[in-house]
Amino acid sequence: MTLPSIIHLIHRKLNYKPVLFLFIQMLKSIYRKNNLPVMLIIVYILAVTSFSRAQQSKDYKPPVTVKKQNSTVKDTNVVKQQDLFLPPNRLKFGNYLFSGNDYLRAAAEYKEYLKNYDNDTVRLKYALCFFRIGRFPEAADNFKSLFFGSFLSEEARLLFYESHFFCDDYGIFRDLIEKTNYLPLVYRKEVERLNSATFFLDNSFLPDTTNLFKPFDDSVHSKLADFYYRKKHTERKNLTTAVLLSTVIPGAGKIYTGEIGDGITSLIATVVSAYLAVSNFQNDHKFRGWLFSGLTAFFYAGNIYGSAVSAQIYNARIRFNLQSEIKLFFEQRNYFLPGIGY
Amino acid sequence: MLLILFTLLGISYAQSDSVKWEAKQISYELPITHLHEYTIDKSSFGMTILSSFRNIYYFFISDLDGDNCPFYPSCSAFFIQSVKETNILNGGLMFADRFTRDLNLLKGMNHYPIYKSGKFFDPPFNYTLNSQKIKL
Repeated sequence: MTLPSIIHLIHRKLNYKPVLFLFIQMLKSIYRKNNLPVMLIIVYILAVTSFSRAQQSKDYKPPVTVKKQNSTVKDTNVVKQQDLFLPPNRLKFGNYLFSGNDYLRAAAEYKEYLKNYDNDTVRLKYALCFFRIGRFPEAADNFKSLFFGSFLSEEARLLFYESHFFCDDYGIFRDLIEKTNYLPLVYRKEVERLNSATFFLDNSFLPDTTNLFKPFDDSVHSKLADFYYRKKHTERKNLTTAVLLSTVIPGAGKIYTGEIGDGITSLIATVVSAYLAVSNFQNDHKFRGWLFSGLTAFFYAGNIYGSAVSAQIYNARIRFNLQSEIKLFFEQRNYFLPGIGY
Repeated sequence: MLLILFTLLGISYAQSDSVKWEAKQISYELPITHLHEYTIDKSSFGMTILSSFRNIYYFFISDLDGDNCPFYPSCSAFFIQSVKETNILNGGLMFADRFTRDLNLLKGMNHYPIYKSGKFFDPPFNYTLNSQKIKL
């Protein structure tokens, strides 16, 4: 190791502060004029330092900007690699959106990808995007395109039936069950379960329990039997009975349908207005008599009409509550969505 | 003399707290929010007459009395909507039934759904005797 390199090392370690120190020492020695050797040493050190600094600056190389040769060929390749709108990049972005549950935008990316490439997985995911956002008719159409000649045919068939099931038009769903060439082989039991569920969920006739319960596990048969019984023998209120009761005794029809408060109010309103009408006629107050007669007719007619409506609403409520319970039962057991790996 | 002068100047240019902080007069009157819109339904001759009567009722009774109907839509609006949904006879019967239900002091126990304004939601389409229109 040479002396300049040692000095340079010291300078670097001490952040060049000694240079200032030596310069001050030099000024002092000149001032005193009595220490020529020390002064020479200082001059020497300064010279060496400045030389090493100069050498350092000479060795410095700025970052070189490399100019590309044959730019016409190479540049286009570079640009193509960074094109985010190329189909593979669109697919990657679509998958990213799909994993983030942004199905609407993922579908748009998959659509662009499928314009250039045909890929069964992407087609299934494209259809699944519509399925997940509740656009079931579009989902069903896209699942249908995978029915034949695709390794995802079974999954597509199941999802096709699920899409139609969630459209809430169970009549069409049951018509599609008749098309045996559409039915999946692997997921046949799931589709049969959906078919059985449709009978519970809509207001159509209920078939025999043997076929209806067959696709389900034995553990849920008792619950299904309970739903079956309640659906078949729903405790309904008869409209005619309600109307007849209200005709005989005002408010009785409403009490029959469970609206006890409304029934008693109807009775009181009709009886009081009728009493006032009679009382006014008896006292020769004809105008007031007719006024209260009109009011009595108003309350009486409203009571009969209200009883009929009340019975109808009671039946609708019973049906609605049972449907909600059945729907919740099926949804909680997740019968509709068996695990599919894709 | 100077002392008196300064005192008088001080008094004359002094600001009270209400002036200094720009105090506002507070009104404790409740803002009127229930005033109805006086529109006339020109969809048919009968509806024009009915909506005119309704406006008269709004002007002379309802707006003076206040927003007291516990239902949404209110009884008058229910009547107009009922007539529009069905016909004058059926609408009248629906209104008679609604009016009786309104008289019931224990109507809160009937489990009406609560509308966002806090009133009982009781739409006319549930009372048309058409089971397909009932929405619970």
